[in-house]
Amino acid sequence: MIENSQPGSKPLQPAQPAKRISLLTKPRLILRAVLLALAVITVYSLATLDTANLKFGEAFQSLGANLKSMFLQPSVGQDSWGLLLRALATSVGLAMLTTLLGALFAFFIAVFSARNLAPSWLATSIKAVMAFIRAIPTILWVLIYSVVMGLGANAAVVGLTFHSIAYLVKAYSESIEETSSDTIEALKASGVGFWPIIFQAILPSIIPALLSWTFIRFEINFANAVAVGAAAGADDIGYYLFMASGFYFNFHEVGLIVYLLLGVAIVLEVVSMKLRGHYLKKN
Amino acid sequence: MNNKFQSPQQFFRQRRLRLGVVLAVLLVIYFGSVAIVNFQTLTSLAQVPAGLIWLFKNFVPTDRSITYLGPILYQLWRTLIVAVSSTVCASILGLIFAILGAKTTSPTPALRWIIRFGASLLRNIPVVAWAMILLFSFKQSDFTGFLALFFMTLGYLTRAFTETIEDLDGEKLQALQAVGANYFQCVFCGVLPEVASTLTSWVLYMIENNLRDATLVGILTGTGVGFLFNHYFKQFRYDAAGLIVLLIAILVILLELTSTQIRRAIA
Amino acid sequence: MLKVIQLDKTYGQNKHSLKAVNFTAQPGEVTAIIGPSGAGKTTILRSVNQLIRDDGGQILLDDQDIRQANKAELRKIRHHIGMIFQNYNLISPLTALENVLHGRLGAKSTLAGVFGMYSAAEKAEALSLLKEVGLGEYAYQRCDQLSGGQQQRVGIARALMQHPKMILCDEPIASLDPKSTKIVMDILRKLAQEKQLIILINLHQIDIALDYADHIVGINSGEIVFEGASGDVDDQVLQRIYRQAAQPEQAVTANEQ
Repeated sequence: MIENSQPGSKPLQPAQPAKRISLLTKPRLILRAVLLALAVITVYSLATLDTANLKFGEAFQSLGANLKSMFLQPSVGQDSWGLLLRALATSVGLAMLTTLLGALFAFFIAVFSARNLAPSWLATSIKAVMAFIRAIPTILWVLIYSVVMGLGANAAVVGLTFHSIAYLVKAYSESIEETSSDTIEALKASGVGFWPIIFQAILPSIIPALLSWTFIRFEINFANAVAVGAAAGADDIGYYLFMASGFYFNFHEVGLIVYLLLGVAIVLEVVSMKLRGHYLKKN
Repeated sequence: MNNKFQSPQQFFRQRRLRLGVVLAVLLVIYFGSVAIVNFQTLTSLAQVPAGLIWLFKNFVPTDRSITYLGPILYQLWRTLIVAVSSTVCASILGLIFAILGAKTTSPTPALRWIIRFGASLLRNIPVVAWAMILLFSFKQSDFTGFLALFFMTLGYLTRAFTETIEDLDGEKLQALQAVGANYFQCVFCGVLPEVASTLTSWVLYMIENNLRDATLVGILTGTGVGFLFNHYFKQFRYDAAGLIVLLIAILVILLELTSTQIRRAIA
Repeated sequence: MLKVIQLDKTYGQNKHSLKAVNFTAQPGEVTAIIGPSGAGKTTILRSVNQLIRDDGGQILLDDQDIRQANKAELRKIRHHIGMIFQNYNLISPLTALENVLHGRLGAKSTLAGVFGMYSAAEKAEALSLLKEVGLGEYAYQRCDQLSGGQQQRVGIARALMQHPKMILCDEPIASLDPKSTKIVMDILRKLAQEKQLIILINLHQIDIALDYADHIVGINSGEIVFEGASGDVDDQVLQRIYRQAAQPEQAVTANEQ
């Protein structure tokens, strides 16, 4: 290719001889290299894993016993049903609140980070900032804000929302970028301004995509709310889970909480299937 | 739905009504959540800028924090390889489960349902629970973090792999069966080569994800870079903690870029 | 009246450029721009409402130079120029009625536009325009459930909703079957005559252009090589319009002589 682009500098190459028959195409080769690299890292990692002189037989036995008391003998432990259910509601509330706030802020930021709407320097810089925020784990955002705002619900909400915004801006702006620039041009050609185009043309076109991303984020936020509960002191189910498993070592209660969380997960799964079915039918 | 409306007014009235209902539901959800969670919207939002300023003032690594660089980089490396090895181990087992559990390749429906249920269970046990249960049995060691990530990843990858295999065109399998290939030949020559690049994409995605989760697992189980962060954070050595945050972010972004490149190359 | 004077446009390397383009289009007439693909038909059309910024010349719509307008003025001018497209460019999940009403958005304040607040009179007008293009019963249908020809007619109704002085049509029938083509072209001709609109169409089908247009503008390699009544187009003229652009340099000198 390079030779051909500089005519006269070199005599023309003869036509390529017929390709050697090989099942190894370039993508396959790279795939193998990647898998090999992962295997090497894994073997090295397992060989050097610090096991703190564990007796594996005993450890797995104790794990088995704990799993048995969790799943076969769940109980409320030192807390009450009312308390746990209220804490569960708090976790769901945290997830809903942070998803709603995140979605609201993310939409307006996404408008300025979509390449078909915003100037490219602005889109690029917003995307870079969001990638940075996203790269920092949610738990760190919550911990950082719990120092600034004090332990409690406020820090948890702000920390979780931060990460939600960064995640949703990426998802939303990609959805916006998928709307055809021709339809946007059609309205521009009739003298319609920026914001009316956003709300009258782009928003109706991408609502299914927005809904599905927002719902995915809601599921993530619920898992995150449970995960950061202990650190943030937001009095949610994550806190009781942490206390039961790490403080009272009451695995019966851990089991009950896990069952409660499974219940929520099943409900979410059903809702998401219904939502998806509803929109598939419509389209 | 064609001539349902008598007039444009009626049509727009219905549109407005629907929009109104949606907005009302959202408002109810919002204020309901605010009440349950006990969140002060305005006070909190007002504190965000101050929080960011505080963050920049205290978390910016200083000359002093460079002295911590050695141990931080070492723990970051440990965390990375634990994230990789737990994902790889989980993907091997997950692939076996997925082949046994996917509609197109499953030997028996009973096994399919057991695998499905098991994967869903593994996925939905929160990471906090995994970390704490394992910590109790396996003490404060890298192995605890490894296992916690392993079990969660196993749940996710089994489902992702199953769906990938099920998405595969059934006719290709039938073609192989038609030339007289047996079950193992079908799986190893027909299914796996077809899905290899998609499966690798999932593995790369889970490695990214696990690196992020490894921080939380580390805080809970006292291992890796998460432990180190917690350690500095609790001692108010914010510049060192900030250095960790910065390095984690850089590592995650590098990993994301690398796996995007790889995904493009093997697609 | 639309008057284009000495319009120039260069895309980087002299490609797809317009060279000193002059032509006029009268109200009440269908003016068709014809020429080989890549000759600059689309560039001309999109320069007229400044979707493409040209490099020099004048575009006078009723003696106002569009090229001199600032951002706010341009939006006002654009509001009186309807445009229809090869791919219709409707918002597909919305109903035909809502798409037609979008023609009014340009006349509204930002807030009224954002919330899509239309008066009862505007809604009634949108419905009657849909009836006028023969789609009264499809008013509440989502646009992605309509056929191509029907979508193009929604596009025309949307353009009419702007109360335009002029409608620009960018290859309006390129994606349509012969039957829909006839319906759409009949509507456009009728509009020119009845509402005294300037209709400016890009076409690559010569027969359609000669059948429907009153005025023909022929373009080759960015230059006007013919302008006149459609009756004056003969084989020689067509040969001039559709001749192969052999060497760009030669074409320029040949024309300058």
